[in-house]
Amino acid sequence: MKNLSLPSSLAVDDENNLIDKLIKGDDQAFESLIRNYSAKMYSIARSFFNNDDDAQECLQKSFIQVFENIHSFRKEARLTTWLHRITVNCALMMIRQQQRHKTLPLEDYFQHYNDYGERTAFTDNSASNLEQLFELKETKTTLNEIIRSLPEKYCNVLLLRDIQELSTNETAMILAISTAAVKTQLHRARLFLKEALKTVSEQAEYNNKGN
Amino acid sequence: MLMMKRLMTKYVPGMLTCEQVDRFLYDFHEDTLTYSERVKFKLHLSMCKECKTYVRDYKNTIRLSKEGIPTAEPLTKVPEELVQAIIKSRKIDS
Repeated sequence: MKNLSLPSSLAVDDENNLIDKLIKGDDQAFESLIRNYSAKMYSIARSFFNNDDDAQECLQKSFIQVFENIHSFRKEARLTTWLHRITVNCALMMIRQQQRHKTLPLEDYFQHYNDYGERTAFTDNSASNLEQLFELKETKTTLNEIIRSLPEKYCNVLLLRDIQELSTNETAMILAISTAAVKTQLHRARLFLKEALKTVSEQAEYNNKGN
Repeated sequence: MLMMKRLMTKYVPGMLTCEQVDRFLYDFHEDTLTYSERVKFKLHLSMCKECKTYVRDYKNTIRLSKEGIPTAEPLTKVPEELVQAIIKSRKIDS
């Protein structure tokens, strides 16, 4: 009986052996693949959805893609990167099919500067303590909605880099964009979120004063 | 203070503007600035209340965004019934 327990992060040689077995259609290799790689794939899928059901469906669809396409996998990329890329693509496909990615305009949320390069839109809102703000459960729900309303390219980068904490390189490979684009899009997504949170904070403060 | 900042930006070599701070912010957070850039960045923060708050809120936003997405809890493994469902779906598929 073969030992199926593999470490979650395989060395390149072990990974290549596993890939060879997968291409040959080895059942045990497929089971190993599922058991050892599905946790992170599920975690990535879950960050794209607000419920477990969609994430589970996404994971199943992702593995079907893996089964169908493993023979075309090139060993130039790490297996994990390829699996994560498939997972993200499946998630995006499902989201598009559900047509629930409503996009917010971003332009108004970015900083403006005067001729001296100084900020022109700034409020020293010390009352907008973001940490205090996040003690409110509704703020988390609001932020969740804001993140999911970001333009798709910003949302994807933010989910993979800041939520899943993948590296810039892996995020770039998964999304098939340059590392420079990852940096630019992530920075813009963060700035948007920051300003959106300020708006939420000001609204909360206004409501408190009203009470 | 505003005039002081404006004068320093104009006459102190290498002094960053708020706009330049914004451009460096991503790399500051990623800890990929050079030593010299980091010194200039921090020097600007030491005399610019607006940027200090801006950078603080940027860092807080990154940290708090994780709380806005409930998924982020790392799973050690997916439920066994889901693993079995995937294995079954492969057999059906093939």
